[in-house]
Amino acid sequence: MYVSLRIDNITHPSFPPHYSAFSHFHKITISSTTTIEYLQILYILLFLTQKFDSSSSSTLPMYSLPHHKYTPSFYHKVGKNRQPFHPFRIFYSTTTTSTSKSNVTPLVIEPKLVPAGSTVVTTVDNRRPMNNDPSLQSTWSHRAWVTFGCTTLLISLGESIKGAMDLNMWAEPIVASWVGYILADLGSGVSHWVIDNYGDDSTPIVGAQIEAFQGHHKWPWTITRREFANNLHALARAVTFMVLPIVLVCHDPVVQGFVGVCSGCIMFSQQFHAWAHGTKSRLPPLVVALQEAGVLVSRSQHAAHHRPPYNNNYCTVSGVWNEFLDKHKVFEALEMVLYFKTGVKPRSWSEPASGWIEEIETSSQVQAQ
Amino acid sequence: MASLTLPNHYLPTLLRSHSPNYPCSQNLPLPSTPSNSQFFGLKLSHSPSSSIPSSSTLRGSIFAKVSKGSKPPNFTLKDQNGKNVSLSSFKGKPLVVYFYPADETPGCTKQACAFRDSYEKFKKAGAVVVGISGDDASSHKAFASKYKLPFTLLSDEGNKVRKEWGVPGDFFGSLPGRETYVIDKNGVVQLVYNNQFQPEKHIDETLKILQSL
Repeated sequence: MYVSLRIDNITHPSFPPHYSAFSHFHKITISSTTTIEYLQILYILLFLTQKFDSSSSSTLPMYSLPHHKYTPSFYHKVGKNRQPFHPFRIFYSTTTTSTSKSNVTPLVIEPKLVPAGSTVVTTVDNRRPMNNDPSLQSTWSHRAWVTFGCTTLLISLGESIKGAMDLNMWAEPIVASWVGYILADLGSGVSHWVIDNYGDDSTPIVGAQIEAFQGHHKWPWTITRREFANNLHALARAVTFMVLPIVLVCHDPVVQGFVGVCSGCIMFSQQFHAWAHGTKSRLPPLVVALQEAGVLVSRSQHAAHHRPPYNNNYCTVSGVWNEFLDKHKVFEALEMVLYFKTGVKPRSWSEPASGWIEEIETSSQVQAQ
Repeated sequence: MASLTLPNHYLPTLLRSHSPNYPCSQNLPLPSTPSNSQFFGLKLSHSPSSSIPSSSTLRGSIFAKVSKGSKPPNFTLKDQNGKNVSLSSFKGKPLVVYFYPADETPGCTKQACAFRDSYEKFKKAGAVVVGISGDDASSHKAFASKYKLPFTLLSDEGNKVRKEWGVPGDFFGSLPGRETYVIDKNGVVQLVYNNQFQPEKHIDETLKILQSL
């Protein structure tokens, strides 16, 4: 089989290393005559399409900003506008003729030309998210990550239970699990505080998340319309990568109890968060009961976070830490110390930007969807 | 004299300020920079001294910290308009001097606005209010203008006066302390109140003591 691949490429730093950065239009022609080379080309194509596929973002927002088709995190920083960026058009053809190269139609991937020297700052998309927005729906990639995450958790918890049975030792794993549940709430608060107050969409690695947090404050209700796997997959991926090595290395039932419950609460914190934005009449009775019992973060407690200046009630697992942290001004103290050490002021010290102020969803808008 | 004070906010394990890493002894030269220490609530402060301390100098060094019953050392600092203001110019009337971490921070804004909102009460008591932080005159000018503060803000650049008066820091010196002094018309300190995270309480406490002066 004979495949010719021509890649016209204007690269940028997020491209894989073997595509070096060019500042001008550049064409690469690759010809393949073997199956292995064909598979290599296919891998490259899959990588390229995966990278620019909205469903497989590696820097997915934790919260519910509905994105357009995925743009790499770098383009979150550099796009002048928020239209989807499709850098490649792929023209592909194959021929099974091996007799003449002239019969091969070259595969042309034509990148979109980015103006040289463009300076860019992203702005939050002011488009109000719609119910059927594709970015709110789950994809198979999302489902896969949630499956991996849940499997990892089940293995961790299974190890803990099995170890407890073997050693006839229940109290310690149960206590460790409870500690994990408590600390997950604290962790959710600290991470929420950091992302809410520091950095912006141009921050490396977490820029997209920070932007998503901002969008969530503007349209908090969209999290209730996000499908399950879509909502959880980013945390599920993080949990998979962090917990799987622990599961493989450590078989102590106490450690696994702590890790399983802590990471499980973190992974499902997005669901707890979505429930905290739900209405009582639409939530399952069990969820309402757990919220009212303080096992899950309550709707009223989390609603307090969504009032200006958005500087309290940061925890989103059970909310058990919120009162302590707010009463003793722990985050305010941290903000002051950080300010005097680094000169960086948190966002909550300033008047809320327009991107933070909640856009109230009217009933007509609900009906229109 | 060393004064025994207790942390007056909720976290009792907080040891405020840094401790000097040198012993205080007549045989050792005292450091050239002042420092403050608080060890389980017992506040000690040291101030600059010559390399051969005499007993009187040493006594002055140890007891240089401003506390209730003492007369604070004079200072001259620039106000928000760039004008030099001396402590001695306020003699003859009660004076409230409050040290705060920085302009445009939440606690300091609350405190300044609380002093502003109660300013008539301070005027009625015949007292003058002066705020001191390490910010420069232009920062003070903007801060005072933004929140319409009717009182003087002084720039203690380099925190020299803060150190001289022995205002303790918080979180092991990471955060400048928030401390208010009420000085009577004879120049004697009648109240020293420290509270980092309840800034409005400074106003209540100072008004209470002013009413008794």
